[in-house]
Amino acid sequence: MVDVSEAVKGDSKVPICPSIPSGEQTVWANASSLLHLACNDLRDGELIYGENFNLFAAMSALEIMDPKMDSGMVRTYYSVDEAIEYGAAPIPLSLDKTVDVQRIIDIMDHLLSCEATWHKGCSLAQTVFSCLYLLRPDRTSSHALLHSYCRVMRATCNAVVCTVSDTRTNEEEDLFTMTHGLPLKVDGDDKCLTMLHAVEETIARQLRACKATLSKKRVTEDIEPLQNNPDLEEGLCKSLLCQLRFRKHFYHVVMNIKRPQGRGLELAKKHIACCFEELDSMIKSADFLRSISAPEDGMKNETTASGCQPVGFDSTLNSRLSAPTPPRAIETISWKKAAEYFQKLLHELEIICSYNLDTVFEGLLRFVVEFQKLRPELVARAHLQHLLVQDGKLYGRDSVFSVICKASLLPEVAKNHDIQKIEPVVQLGQLLITLLRVLCTNISWQRRKLGKILQDWRIIHVQLELAFRKECGDISATSSNENICIKICRHILIWVEEQTYWIASRFLMLGFELDLYSPSEYCMVYWYMYIILIKLAEKTHMRAMTSNDISKKKGKKKRDLVKEGGKDYQLPPAILFLQCHVYLAEGLTMMLAALRNERQMYVSTGPFNTEHERFVQHFELLLKACLPDHVSYYSFVETTAHAHLSNAAMYNCFKGAQRIAKELRSSFSNDPDKMAELRRIEQVAEHNSVALGLISRLGAVDASLKVQFEFSHHPFFATAVVKRS
Amino acid sequence: MSTKEPTTCLSEVGSSNQLETNNSNYVSHVKKLLHRRMLVGISDGRFFLGTFYCIDKQGNIILQDAVEYRSTRRSAPSPMEQRVLGIILIPSSCRKTCHVDSSIEEQLSLTSLEEQNS
Repeated sequence: MVDVSEAVKGDSKVPICPSIPSGEQTVWANASSLLHLACNDLRDGELIYGENFNLFAAMSALEIMDPKMDSGMVRTYYSVDEAIEYGAAPIPLSLDKTVDVQRIIDIMDHLLSCEATWHKGCSLAQTVFSCLYLLRPDRTSSHALLHSYCRVMRATCNAVVCTVSDTRTNEEEDLFTMTHGLPLKVDGDDKCLTMLHAVEETIARQLRACKATLSKKRVTEDIEPLQNNPDLEEGLCKSLLCQLRFRKHFYHVVMNIKRPQGRGLELAKKHIACCFEELDSMIKSADFLRSISAPEDGMKNETTASGCQPVGFDSTLNSRLSAPTPPRAIETISWKKAAEYFQKLLHELEIICSYNLDTVFEGLLRFVVEFQKLRPELVARAHLQHLLVQDGKLYGRDSVFSVICKASLLPEVAKNHDIQKIEPVVQLGQLLITLLRVLCTNISWQRRKLGKILQDWRIIHVQLELAFRKECGDISATSSNENICIKICRHILIWVEEQTYWIASRFLMLGFELDLYSPSEYCMVYWYMYIILIKLAEKTHMRAMTSNDISKKKGKKKRDLVKEGGKDYQLPPAILFLQCHVYLAEGLTMMLAALRNERQMYVSTGPFNTEHERFVQHFELLLKACLPDHVSYYSFVETTAHAHLSNAAMYNCFKGAQRIAKELRSSFSNDPDKMAELRRIEQVAEHNSVALGLISRLGAVDASLKVQFEFSHHPFFATAVVKRS
Repeated sequence: MSTKEPTTCLSEVGSSNQLETNNSNYVSHVKKLLHRRMLVGISDGRFFLGTFYCIDKQGNIILQDAVEYRSTRRSAPSPMEQRVLGIILIPSSCRKTCHVDSSIEEQLSLTSLEEQNS
């Protein structure tokens, strides 16, 4: 190849690196010519390699000078120090004080964009620490404003990294906590607030002085203005103040929200309110900043409010620090988007701070599920998890066993019982902690993990049962004066089962949020949901009954208990609430099956796999964990084979859901989340029963009738929409 | 040259597994250099030191246990930074120098080659 000869020619000009020593008694001998001649003699495709050659290893070699693989490529500058020497990060930024202030505001804006980009999953080295000023902490000390801002920035990043690495929420985005080689913990950064406060104070006085001059009042103190242009003084002071104050409050937020046992939540909430205010002022001051600067046209991704390119950033210098991952090309999100991101983050943190540290486990689960509906990103989720699990305790306060006892509706005395020391109970505690952690991860990761831990929950149930038998004898015997040990065992076993079905139902529901099901698969998904929800309702009911010491329930067939519940015996509202979901799932299963059986709609045939295969693909983890026992594809086929539109059962399902949802309103009048869910259930049930009526009346005469399923009223219960095509 | 090329060449190892041995003296000489320490300088000023593992007809070199050396300044002399990279492929297009760790005698024979070639 030509390049080789070029290399040979150029050889004499490039000196051998002097500081790399050869071996003892050996020298570095130039082999370029030999290699060149040997290559000429090689046949096409021939290689020179030794005995230990492994093609697979060779294929995974990092390719030097490939911009996607070689993070060490020398781009603009050789090093941070060289960049600084060449004037890439001057201090002061300009000798003109006005320009200096403007440029500092640009840096602050760009850092906000970088920080948001980092939170969204890029490495710290390529985002926040692309700032040369942050990389050389001592250099900024002569510039109080810049110095204090850099300090608080580093301290904030450090606090966030700590929270995320403590909670290990970053399993999903492992770039987040990689800080190797970055000056993240710098002496004195922990006192950043004192310095920031002093700078803020000075600027506040400058603003006051400027306002006094404007209103022709006599200036009481003689203060040097922020910069030289009196017309811009007020605007620039204000812009700087909101930037500094935002940083101050945001730092308070991240420090307080992670104080143990939620002790800092109230304070954090106050600071969040301040953050919102300052962020608002920052957004408002954007117009002013734009008007006084000359933004470069055609900058498509503006990372500053002024629209000017910030000084002192170079993301290529640090790309080596992002190893071992290849240096990915990243795009810093725009300043506007960054501001929006922070508003969303603050809103999510506010929800966490407003949480009442519910001691009822079901309440806690509901809170986490609701929180996840906002699709919070890593930082918010890490803070939630940090609050929920600290030192292996719930909220860092309640021991896991006491949480389990409470959730199993056991009396207070149970939580000190020695049974908590036996191995399976300890393991159950760990499973619970894992569950909480998993629930705080992003939903796709979460679904995968939930599917996997189902089996653990099944196994622990068996182990607990065996261990309890050994400890307390026959636990199924029912006597009126049973001892506390037997009581604990029975309660916990029921609760474990209930929890397992709850996980299974969450697993199925998340599939809708992640768009994992195709319309032709809805029928089987709703069928599976139906049987899981029935089991869940049954276990929940059993738990309630056990605690009420109604022990005669054994004789009754479990399934009937829930199904006939509404008629002869008033079920508790929590069970009826689940019953609504059961009805909707059943109704939708039958409706979809009937459409398939009679009108060949949503027939589940694809070119690649059979319905049976898809059934296994979707529910493999549930089937493996025997959730529930004896269920298979054939049970699904059997249930749905005879579904017909003329069959009244499915009307009754939707009607039933509607009726119960209406009745339940009074029971949950002070629970806005549940009220909203009841409204959604009613809407889905109502629309579907109307649609069903339409289809069965018109379907036979009008062949052009189309039925579509949409998620307009509920995130996972579909609404049928009937249209003429 | 395209970045794909080395990969394609490597993948042919299995098929054209040197059915007949290459009689070139140069090739057998290079074979003797395998597993020796090799220092390769590239166009952006960096050096890579590693164990010579493989070379193809196009002159692409694979080094094992490679260490990257880079100057922290544009102007010489400059302090060097180094880091471990593992197995790397240096395309011939960016290779500027190539040295092997060798005895004085070997150096002399290589130098004579150099003179013949130039």
